[in-house]
Amino acid sequence: MKRPVSSVLLTSVLGLTMLAAAEQQGAPAAPAAAAQPPARVAPPAAPRPSAPMAPVTSRTAAPAASTDYSAHNAVVKQYCVGCHSDRAKAGGLTLASYDAAKAADEAEITEKIVRKLRAKMMPPSGAKRPDEATMTSLMLALEHTVDRAADPGRSGARVFQRLNRAEYARAVRDLLALDIDVSALLPADTISAGFDNVADSQVFSPTLMESYLRAASKVTTLAVGDPEAESSEALYRVPKTASQMEQAEGAPLGTRGGLSVVHTFPADGDYTLRLELHGNACGFLFGGPYTGEQMEVSVDGERVALLDVNPKMADMSGGMSLKTPAVHITAGPHRVTAAFIQRFEGPVNDLLAPIAHTLADTQIGVAHGVTTLPHLKDMAIVGPVRVTGVSDTESRRKIFTCRPTAPGEEQACASRIIRDLATQAFRRPVSQRDFERLMAFYKDGRDEGDFEMGVASALEAVLASPQFLFRLEPVPATAVAGKPYRLDDLALASRLSFFLWGSGPDAALMKAAQSGGLSTTAGLDRQVTRMLADPRAEALSTRFAGQWLRLADVEQILPDAILYPYFDRSLGHAMVRETELFFDSLVREDRSLLDLLTADHTFVNGRLARHYGIPNINGNEFVRVTVPDERRGLLGKGSVLMLTSVADRTSPVMRGKWVMEVMLGSPPPAPPPNVPGLEETKATGATRMLTVRERMEQHRANPACRSCHRVIDPLGLALENFDVTGKWRIKDNGAPVDPTGELYDGTPMDGPAGLRRALLKHQDVIVLSFTESMLTYALGRRVEAADMPMVRRIVRDAAARDLKISAIVQGIVKSPAFRMGAEVPATATETVAEPDQQ
Amino acid sequence: MAFLTERRLDRRTALKGLGVSVALPLLDAMMPARASAARQLTKKRRFVAIEMVHGAAGSTAFGEKNNLWAPAEVGRDFTFGKSSLAPLEPHREHLTIISRTDVRNAEAFTPPEIGGDHFRSAAVFLTQSHPHQTQGSDVRAGISIDQIVAKEIGGETPIPSMQLCIESVDQAGGCFYGYSCAYTDSISWATPNDPLPMIRDPRAVFDQLFGVGATPEARARRRRKDKSILDWVTASVQDLKSSLGTADQARLADYLDDVREIERRIQKVEASNATGEPRELPGAPAGVPDLYTDHVKLMFDLQALAFQADITRVFAFKLSRDVSNRVYPETGVTTGFHIASHHGDRDERITEYAKINTYHVSLLPYFIEKLQSLKEGDDTLLDNSVVMYGSPMGNSNVHNHKRCPLILLGHGGGAIKGNVHLRAADGTPMANPMLSVLHTMGVDVPSFGDSTGTFDLNSPLPSTAAGE
Repeated sequence: MKRPVSSVLLTSVLGLTMLAAAEQQGAPAAPAAAAQPPARVAPPAAPRPSAPMAPVTSRTAAPAASTDYSAHNAVVKQYCVGCHSDRAKAGGLTLASYDAAKAADEAEITEKIVRKLRAKMMPPSGAKRPDEATMTSLMLALEHTVDRAADPGRSGARVFQRLNRAEYARAVRDLLALDIDVSALLPADTISAGFDNVADSQVFSPTLMESYLRAASKVTTLAVGDPEAESSEALYRVPKTASQMEQAEGAPLGTRGGLSVVHTFPADGDYTLRLELHGNACGFLFGGPYTGEQMEVSVDGERVALLDVNPKMADMSGGMSLKTPAVHITAGPHRVTAAFIQRFEGPVNDLLAPIAHTLADTQIGVAHGVTTLPHLKDMAIVGPVRVTGVSDTESRRKIFTCRPTAPGEEQACASRIIRDLATQAFRRPVSQRDFERLMAFYKDGRDEGDFEMGVASALEAVLASPQFLFRLEPVPATAVAGKPYRLDDLALASRLSFFLWGSGPDAALMKAAQSGGLSTTAGLDRQVTRMLADPRAEALSTRFAGQWLRLADVEQILPDAILYPYFDRSLGHAMVRETELFFDSLVREDRSLLDLLTADHTFVNGRLARHYGIPNINGNEFVRVTVPDERRGLLGKGSVLMLTSVADRTSPVMRGKWVMEVMLGSPPPAPPPNVPGLEETKATGATRMLTVRERMEQHRANPACRSCHRVIDPLGLALENFDVTGKWRIKDNGAPVDPTGELYDGTPMDGPAGLRRALLKHQDVIVLSFTESMLTYALGRRVEAADMPMVRRIVRDAAARDLKISAIVQGIVKSPAFRMGAEVPATATETVAEPDQQ
Repeated sequence: MAFLTERRLDRRTALKGLGVSVALPLLDAMMPARASAARQLTKKRRFVAIEMVHGAAGSTAFGEKNNLWAPAEVGRDFTFGKSSLAPLEPHREHLTIISRTDVRNAEAFTPPEIGGDHFRSAAVFLTQSHPHQTQGSDVRAGISIDQIVAKEIGGETPIPSMQLCIESVDQAGGCFYGYSCAYTDSISWATPNDPLPMIRDPRAVFDQLFGVGATPEARARRRRKDKSILDWVTASVQDLKSSLGTADQARLADYLDDVREIERRIQKVEASNATGEPRELPGAPAGVPDLYTDHVKLMFDLQALAFQADITRVFAFKLSRDVSNRVYPETGVTTGFHIASHHGDRDERITEYAKINTYHVSLLPYFIEKLQSLKEGDDTLLDNSVVMYGSPMGNSNVHNHKRCPLILLGHGGGAIKGNVHLRAADGTPMANPMLSVLHTMGVDVPSFGDSTGTFDLNSPLPSTAAGE
């Protein structure tokens, strides 16, 4: 794909042209337009730079803009102060005494102005606006004034971060080759600015402290194994919204429904599995009364029990559980599956269309003419009894890198194991004092039991240590008070690995850090390139992009089972996975950021392909496919479309708000209190049910609502061809869908492609917004007005490299904010940040 | 999980959770003035709130006439007759019956809420607030009475409060009519937006109360280990501090405070183990018992043990779950619980349903006797406890929430005399006696839920007192 992107964006970011950057494919006008900027765009006051195509490096200041501040002030007075006056204070902002010459002194206000001007959201459409050139000139002048005044070495300060749930789980996996259910061990993380790793929202509590203690002990036991394991019960639940008519993920072929999990067994011994089936509201087996249903229980794919489902099971007669005989299972992780034997293909709902969300109501199957099949509710793994020992596991191999063959060798072997574990866990060499203390733990455990108990005892201490749990960054002795200082290379290595991998550094990165490999820009680049190519860089999609796009919200939406019977939880999961794989592919192929909007490929499994209408894809594996035009990019992803809907209708407002927040970085203001919800608008017209668009139009007839909703709604209405579940539709409530509208800047839009094209006109805003988000995640602190010159610098540099994702990543990594530390001002430590309310 | 049981409810959280619709008095309730802590109660109070679902046979017209729940006589000389409360007759001096109060906030307020009573009620019982109808995560009810009490007295014990249940959550037939399962699964709300998970597995309760380990020796070993790890953490922090900036040092100091708090808890447990009386804890339970009766009794054992060791003083205990169709073989009734509760207002089926109510009440004496057998100074634990048992539903056949069952057991440190049947005036909110219970527990608040005033927990005369 050949794109003129770099020049379009480069110039656009510089504000020299305001090109309508058309979509790469299907917009033949684009290259031509890029080559010859319309003459009127060049602001008369701004001198043309001599070489508009020349790459702008971070060391070069942006080209000079008009310094005629009195003219700029006149523009502000004429076009802005009408609303942003001392009295009216529209949006809580007054510009009455704003002076463009002092833009840098009021950076916060200046950045607000620049943000709106860049997105062309201000002055609002309908209001009197200056011509493009004047607006551009003002925007550039403000930006340049701020950028010039900015301290290029600014680092910005934050307190240290602690490992959040996701990082803890990944660190444990790296250290011990063990997958843990971290949600059962640690409290949920606080989200700030959309991310779960923002340092000043990570508060401490005794509960957290206790959780870390319990987790250290639990993880140690799971990793080392526990020859003294007591019988206990682990319960796995099947979500009620998951379909049980098809093969579950991880379950063997030829089965339907049920559950497949990887469970870590503490010891070799006998375990029993208890399966609880769903009942209906009258206490009888859901999906009865047909004979012949069977459940198969398998461990690592091998059948260990085949249980008959008695169709007469009921609450009143002993309940609805099945139990396996005792099964001998060895220690370590094993895939345990309980699934129904699939006896026939095809729908079982005789009179109704087949539905995926089969448990929407347990009354299903009670009425005549509607049949269904039994569903698993939960699976309990009970045991062990008759423990015979602890078999070798991957975790044990990872820990016990040596084995003493004589008592005399124990001490040396333990030292080696413990030093290695502590170094990796602490992400820096362990101090002699700490090492001695850890060896004391070893000795306690050794004296109480054996060699393994000694190592386990030290491992538990390692996992409970603040050096493992907290990402402490020492201040070098040479640091000058009040000045940013260079982070030591080991601290930088940690920042790098948590940014790109969501976990601690590997041995190669540690080695590079210790041998000065991170002290040079070239060395840093080498590591970034290596790390982006590593499988662990999936964290950028699952951790960063997942949070940036708010994919976790997909779980929160439960589409109405009657309106959307084709939805079930496994489809929601597939959509999230699709989006992660999509983002991951852009990272792997080092594509342009703009491909986020325009790429024509995606990843689907059989379930999702059916939903999107893509033929010939079967099974649970995801495969790469080319999508039709309307499904291109993020705006065609089921996940994004669903997380911006409500249960029983699409929400153009939420979709519009998502685009403004996530894509454009300009969230709309909060609605005033006491606004009636859309639900209070009648859903029926004179002769028929109204479409969502019609209801919205009635709803925002109120002029107080209009001023914002005329901006928000059209963005969402352009996506009205996608229903709540992201399925393509041409009708809403029986009437044809009308996906037309106008972007707030007057650009006409028609459907998803039109919206994409309209947004691409503001691509510099999208790139800035993406970079702000990524910077927030990389630094673990909120990006402030004072950081914006740096954000613009990163974007300018990346524009010279076709906006490749690696260019943004490298720009961030090389920024002083990432490489330098700074002292947190004393006042800042007293205010605990308010978590964002989303 | 356990994490939610001891969150610090700071002012900001409270304000955020309250939204805009709740008036100021509740706010006060959430933050009992420190002044009230100053006039400390001389005795350690305990509070247990037990919910039973599906109302009572005695709340029907036929049931009232035949006194299937509330006795015919008001005052101290009441008789049990056919009442489902009869199993409590041997303990009548500890029993306070408060009959005919209403749980108005469990009613449907808007047409879409009609019919959703089973999925809404549990959230109302201890909050006496009206749940916001949603399937999403934007749940909102009110702060529950057990949490208000825990806020006042929970800080004195290692665990401020615990939430237990018997039936497994997310049962078939749950969470319809547009209600999130959160409303059906929990009775305990830390804030109006924060339902607390209920623990069903007695082993999980045990581990939380007494530490991980199946035997006293294993638990003692665990505590020793925890202590040495905390020592190591403290020592490492001292080493690390010097290399950090001042803000990070302050942050580590906060963290050390939490470390010390955990140390304090460990010491507390050890101190209670060291005092003269035999406090040898039994072996940890293996899991969920098969029989309902055994499960309930085990949970009562754990609550009594927790009180005795003073690990927590507040429990919320959910005995069943709405629309449960469990059959109780002990009752001789072969119909499932929910089906039996829809008795069609037919006399013989109401009588049959009363047997299930009686059975549930018959589980209480076991707990009462336990609390009575445990001495604390000159008092028994029962003297200092309030065990509140009731249902947010009245006549289950029509899902109404009028004339609902409510009883108190124990004496709340002497404030509640017992041996009395108090009949509320028509239309008295259940929140009124609950407000008075709060006062008994030393929580000085002017109102609770939809309360219109206090309720005299001792005088048999209909209470008309308005506020304080």
